[in-house]
Amino acid sequence: MHLEWGFFLRDIGDGETTYLSWLFSAWGWTLAVAGCAWVLALLLGSVVGTLRTMQVTWVARLANAWVELFRNIPLLVQIFLWYHVIPSLIPPLRDVPSFVLVVFGLGLFTSSRVAEQVRAGIQSLPHGQRHAGMALGLTTAQTYRYVLLPMAFRIVIPPLTSEAMNIIKNSSVAFAVSISELTLFAMQAQEETSRGVEVYLAVTTLYIITAMTINRLMALIEKRVRVPGYVGGDR
Amino acid sequence: MIGNLDLSFFNWELVSNFLAKGFYFSIQLTLIAMAGGIVFGTALALCRLSGRPWLALPAATYVNTMRSIPLVMVILWFFLLIPLLIGRSMGAELSAIITFTLFEAAYYSEIMRAGIQSVARGQVYAGYALGLTYGQTMRLIVLPQAFRNMLPVLLTQTIILFQDTSLVYAIGAYDLLKGFEVAGKNFNRPVEAYLLAAVVYFVICFSLSSVVKKLQTRIAIIR
Amino acid sequence: MIEIKNVSKWYGSFQVLTKCSTSVKKGEVVVVCGPSGSGKSTLIKCVNALEPFQEGEVVIDGTSVGAAGTDLPRLRSKVGMVFQHFELFPHLSIIENLTLAQVKVLNRSAEAARDKGLALLERVGLTAHADKFPGQLSGGQQQRVAIARALAMDPMCMLFDEPTSALDPEMINEVLDVMVQLAQEGMTMMCVTHEMGFARKVAHRVIFMDKGEIVEDATKDDFFGKPRSERAVQFLSKILQH
Ligand SMILES: Nc1ncnc2c1ncn2[C@@H]1O[C@H](COP(=O)(O)OP(=O)(O)OP(=O)(O)O)[C@@H](O)[C@H]1O
Ligand SMILES: [Mg+2]
Repeated sequence: MHLEWGFFLRDIGDGETTYLSWLFSAWGWTLAVAGCAWVLALLLGSVVGTLRTMQVTWVARLANAWVELFRNIPLLVQIFLWYHVIPSLIPPLRDVPSFVLVVFGLGLFTSSRVAEQVRAGIQSLPHGQRHAGMALGLTTAQTYRYVLLPMAFRIVIPPLTSEAMNIIKNSSVAFAVSISELTLFAMQAQEETSRGVEVYLAVTTLYIITAMTINRLMALIEKRVRVPGYVGGDR
Repeated sequence: MIGNLDLSFFNWELVSNFLAKGFYFSIQLTLIAMAGGIVFGTALALCRLSGRPWLALPAATYVNTMRSIPLVMVILWFFLLIPLLIGRSMGAELSAIITFTLFEAAYYSEIMRAGIQSVARGQVYAGYALGLTYGQTMRLIVLPQAFRNMLPVLLTQTIILFQDTSLVYAIGAYDLLKGFEVAGKNFNRPVEAYLLAAVVYFVICFSLSSVVKKLQTRIAIIR
Repeated sequence: MIEIKNVSKWYGSFQVLTKCSTSVKKGEVVVVCGPSGSGKSTLIKCVNALEPFQEGEVVIDGTSVGAAGTDLPRLRSKVGMVFQHFELFPHLSIIENLTLAQVKVLNRSAEAARDKGLALLERVGLTAHADKFPGQLSGGQQQRVAIARALAMDPMCMLFDEPTSALDPEMINEVLDVMVQLAQEGMTMMCVTHEMGFARKVAHRVIFMDKGEIVEDATKDDFFGKPRSERAVQFLSKILQH
């Protein structure tokens, strides 16, 4: 097969933008969608995951329901719910840009997975840790803040790394609601230029580079927060 | 507002005209990709664990590549490449079936690899000690145990697969979600259609995952 | 100081504690022993409400533990507790383990907390390890840090739940020495332990539990001299064989 890359420097018809700059702006949108959704997912997921380990049953139940709800509906359907259904049910949301809606869709979907990891992380700590915190007179909130969560987060960094890589991949569904990110670029540029293989190769490469970078970044964080003397630490 | 929702268009006619076809395809796609994916995935796992670089390396590359690309992109890739390779165009549905089988194989292979590694090393020695060959040991002793240990995880992956089938939207294949969308357009009730789609997917996935959870406790007891 | 009155506790339908009553006076050292699963840990955790109980009452220094309005964190900060598995906080250095609750609960300044922490580390002979992490210390050292951590709160009494049973034999004495010293200084202590040597040396009273009940509650001399119940006799003969 003969590859031909020249078209990337051609403009897309508006006289100023080239396919290359479109590609990079699409990459920017992918990073923006995934990045914002990740922040949301991390915040909500940590809260929900923590609540799931509470001794108060109704709080834990509510948090479990959250996880089940967002885990058992396909991401694309959730995106459609945010884009088509919610604004028409709640009129004030009609003017919210679709970028924000997609961030919420992807963020809440991912929050259920983050919550699952955080819960598992907290529950993997010895039960005595909670007792030790409380026996010193720390309140429940302080026990979580100073004793349980710092260890739990260290433990869940590896699974969170794969969730962070997943969110990059999952952000591709934003194409379905016309966010001009990498996948939508791939589809449109393929159509316009008929150089599908080159376009897809470029897009795929950017996805892989992004995922690798996240992987390295998280490994760096993991190393920075490593506890001496603890599994894998320098004794 | 919520009061404006009109679900009266949901009747038997709608189900048989729009949804049945899509539902049938989603199920078909899930089952074929699961069966094919597990078989091919197990083969990949065996290659990776074979200790022979010329088998392990290509298998690892295949699995890692598939796992680092968004499924939507993989769907688009195959939809683009298959016609280039076989010289004629192929329907979106058939293309989706091939794509999902090959894509899911990568994920199933990771599960099977963990499953095989979870079987105690002593089992393999016991097989050899009885005079079984490598192939026989794998087929008769290791794989059945790996499969049983990993059954809940394999089924959970299948539920994810079922959810992912909705992504054939990217190439316009007619699946369950498409059925709801077309129905919504036809009756001019898109909001209700998407809402119903969410409910239907939720009920299916939630019930299946409850079954898997039960199975998990059962298996834990047997072991 | 500690009053336990008719405390009963259930896990679902399983009764762990049946009408347990006893008390620990100021300056008294009480040893609790009994077979595994008899409810010793549960009882001692009821004292500072780490485990809730359904019936009865526990009163510490005039405050009822189970009552609705009780400020549990405040109460717990006045009761030191040492656990079987140390339960140091692995992500904090040794000195941080000692200062965390002083600062967060007692609102001491960072310097005051640090000075107090260092003084206690010196007392348990671990000054050199202040900036290490728990994972870098031996079991015996960790348990001594845990005792120092509890003492840093200036507790009015101390609870010990099998503090030496997770330790290798050669480390047991370094921990017991610290406990003996504490007892001799007049600390009020309730200790779950099978170290009968320790009990003989410093205990005032010994409580024997079996199947969730306090079977025997006697002075040290009575308990070792003429245990009244059959079960206590059997238990003693078992653990004293070693
Ligand atoms: N969270 C729980 N749920 C149900 N049962 C429990 C729970 N915790 C403890 N138990 C049961 O309560 C009983 C008393 O437990 P406890 O830990 O108080 O015993 P123990 O005397 O401290 O034993 P050991 O010497 O082994 O520490 C045991 O039979 C135990 O199985
Ligand atoms: Mg115990």
